[in-house]
Amino acid sequence: MSSVSSPTWLYGAIQRRRNRGLGGLYLVVAAFLVLYVVLFPGILSVGGFSKFTQNWFPLALVTMAQALLMLNGGITLAIGPLVSLGAVIAATTMESVFGVPGGIVAVAFTGLAIGAVIGAIVAHLRLPAIIVTLAGSFIITGVALILLPRPGGFIPDWLSNTLAGHTPVAFLLLVVVLLLWKAFLATPLGLGIYAAGDNPVGAFRSGVRVERAKIAAFALSGLLTALAGLFVAAQTGSGDPVIGAPFTLNSIAAAVLGGVGFLGGKGTMRGAICGSLLLSVMINVMFFLGFPPVAQYLAQGLIIVGAVAVPELLKSWRARR
Amino acid sequence: MNAVKTIFRNPPLLTFVLVALVWLVASLTLRGFGAYGHLRYLLELAAVIGIAAAGQTLVILMGGIDLSVGAVITVTAILLPLISPAWDPTGLVGIASALAIATGIGFLNGAGAAYLRVPPIIMTLAMATFLQGLLVIVAGGSAVTVSNPAVILLGQSRPLGIPSGVLLWLAVSAVVLVLIHRMPIGARFLAIGANPLAARLSGVSLPRNTLILYALSGFFAGLAGILVLGMNRQGYVGIGDPYLLTSIAAVVLGGTSILGGRGTYAGTIPGAILLVTTTALITVVNASPGWRSIMFGTLILALLLISGREARR
Repeated sequence: MSSVSSPTWLYGAIQRRRNRGLGGLYLVVAAFLVLYVVLFPGILSVGGFSKFTQNWFPLALVTMAQALLMLNGGITLAIGPLVSLGAVIAATTMESVFGVPGGIVAVAFTGLAIGAVIGAIVAHLRLPAIIVTLAGSFIITGVALILLPRPGGFIPDWLSNTLAGHTPVAFLLLVVVLLLWKAFLATPLGLGIYAAGDNPVGAFRSGVRVERAKIAAFALSGLLTALAGLFVAAQTGSGDPVIGAPFTLNSIAAAVLGGVGFLGGKGTMRGAICGSLLLSVMINVMFFLGFPPVAQYLAQGLIIVGAVAVPELLKSWRARR
Repeated sequence: MNAVKTIFRNPPLLTFVLVALVWLVASLTLRGFGAYGHLRYLLELAAVIGIAAAGQTLVILMGGIDLSVGAVITVTAILLPLISPAWDPTGLVGIASALAIATGIGFLNGAGAAYLRVPPIIMTLAMATFLQGLLVIVAGGSAVTVSNPAVILLGQSRPLGIPSGVLLWLAVSAVVLVLIHRMPIGARFLAIGANPLAARLSGVSLPRNTLILYALSGFFAGLAGILVLGMNRQGYVGIGDPYLLTSIAAVVLGGTSILGGRGTYAGTIPGAILLVTTTALITVVNASPGWRSIMFGTLILALLLISGREARR
């Protein structure tokens, strides 16, 4: 009897452990959302909701990309440049004979390929991810600058209107991406990414091909980042070789706000998504309250430190009691 | 054969050999590269990176990272002309107070990492964001010209034909090398980087050493900021930005493990020279900014393959 029920019990215990500390985050996110609704009731209309989720969508994608790597024990500093490159490729390929589908395929393929190459360098040549992605960010920025030296290019109007118009398409896409992630986690490869981040040696001895899991994590992360770039291009209606710059810091901050650790295996994707939502709401609130950009910098720095420090302080305070 | 093996096992030496090779080949193939004046200029540029990377080396050795180096350099370069008092003819008071501010910023980084338990990468990134906002308020986006005599002397004078920036770098190198390899506190830093838990159980105070290290990193970044200001004679928002990535790259090129616990400043010195040489070579090739960026990234990656690899675990 116990042999049947123990896996369920074990599963429940592991799930509880993974959710530990997320309760507070959910509360903070909910509180901020309520504040937002009180300040700007317009969000409750379809149009307002669409606009809000459109601002959140690219940040959510790059946060997933960053969290995916951090769960695997890596990190990437090439998020911003890759978002820019995605936007630039979208804006330069959609005029060709293959049209919009061709452009989307080109962006997706570029993201996957760049991610896979970085992953292969990190996994097989044993270079630290932080440095490889730092060097990679120069190369990616260079490619984006060559393809499109100044902002421009072409995005069909109907695409911009579909993705960033007055309908919540972006939100639906996010739901689809999250469902796909859930399904991916059930595959051996998805689980392997987690396992290899938590305990590489243990994962290897349990039959996980650690190197392959790492390359897959980088490739998927590249794919998500480049697609975020495609969305940004649709949102702005053109390509810009440096538009992605703020995403690097914000993706790391959002993932850390969501409780994802730097050492791999610690954290959950739902936490990271909540972290990105929190950051997005905070940026929006400051923008709409008419904070000057300068004060936004100051507030963002303080909030990020506070959001990371407070749970840690609470934890140590509880332990001392 | 044995000599080759020794070189490959000793990253600092390997990086030195790389620099020597690159300089030799470039001097033979490019006209004007090997001129004394040009090499001296390269060393002068490398001094800024080297001094900023001194603090970075210490922090990385302890297993942390300081992403606020660029912002601290900018803050020092902009604040120094503004806070240098007019009644002080030597300008030393201004330098001392600018260094105090830089050290204070580093101290705050350390306090956040040690007491608030914020991961250093987040703490220093947030600090950089915060400083960026503060600077726009203080300087309003315009450049400030320096008239502090001591700073100009530091940036422009050449006692015995050697730029004083390079002399300053030599002094910093000596101090840092002695600190890491000949003093108990250096052993403590390395112990924390190698295994924080074991270090703590052996009686090494983690918060105390974290505070000292980040304060030192702030101090060296401030020193680099003063040197840059003296060389440029002007401070502006963004002046320190290039030094963030280069300071980290110099450390890793010198064979110091980004995970902490293993490495030496002796590797960072040739690492900084190598970076400056690379940039100079790319400038010689007449290419668009895009291609230059690609070449820089590729060269760093190639150099890392030679000297920055982590041991197989």
